[in-house]
Amino acid sequence: MKSINKMTQAELAAYVQSHLREKGITVILSGGASVSIYTANKYVSADVDLIDVYSIERNKIKIAMEEIGFHEKNRYFVHPNTKHIVEFPPGPLSVGEESVTSIKEIKYSTGVLRVISPTDCIKDRLVAYYFWNDQQSLAQALLVAKHNRVNFTDIKRWSKASGNLKGYETFYEKYASKNRSRLR
Amino acid sequence: MLKPLLGSTGSERVLIFITARGEAYPREISRFFGMGTYPIRKQLEKLEVGGILVSQPKGRTLLYTFNPRYPFLKELKELLDKALSFYPEDEREKLIMNRRRPRRRGKIL
Repeated sequence: MKSINKMTQAELAAYVQSHLREKGITVILSGGASVSIYTANKYVSADVDLIDVYSIERNKIKIAMEEIGFHEKNRYFVHPNTKHIVEFPPGPLSVGEESVTSIKEIKYSTGVLRVISPTDCIKDRLVAYYFWNDQQSLAQALLVAKHNRVNFTDIKRWSKASGNLKGYETFYEKYASKNRSRLR
Repeated sequence: MLKPLLGSTGSERVLIFITARGEAYPREISRFFGMGTYPIRKQLEKLEVGGILVSQPKGRTLLYTFNPRYPFLKELKELLDKALSFYPEDEREKLIMNRRRPRRRGKIL
């Protein structure tokens, strides 16, 4: 097993997840780290957001994390041998108003990583773009779309249901203008 | 009104205030309800940790709004809107009808 200081963000997330799974704690990777994974680190995030799917008792997570050398600091978990910070945002696992059902599994030498799909990763970024007009989130959504096979029909349906069809059109126009060769 | 459901008067006040105004600083909530800032800050932090609110730094304070990622936001807002409609008329008016547009500095009122 690799030592923690040599693990990439994804390997670390897989390692933590696998350990928690052994303890009966189900967490799924979401947030900026999922963008990093789906863009081959073209976007870098130090955070590892593991959604606590079933709202497990906080103390149970704390004990499990301490077993692998992490300690809690202002609700984040830090380890002396890594710059990555692990956080457990509360569940349920969702994008906007909808629950997430499609989970992707990626195998690493450190464990199996369960992460939201590229399509849901884009939706997660678009929430911030739609609500706060956050251009960084839009750029991240575009990067994920560029590097992965995603379901645009589903993203459009989801955007329309939340009253953000116009925002989706902006996103898709930007994607299409940068990826004309892929759309032909 | 929602205390049995939310567990505390502080939580209800924070959520009702943000429902009425869309966003809030801790101090303006505590001033409005005549409470200390500390318990209001605690409630805001609790609701942020729970994923219901988010905060953004504005100057030297934090501005809280509802978290658009919270999956039950629509239903929660419906509940809070209904609760707000049951508030005494004068209190409801004070919550909703506050000046949000700018006022030039130094203007004599």
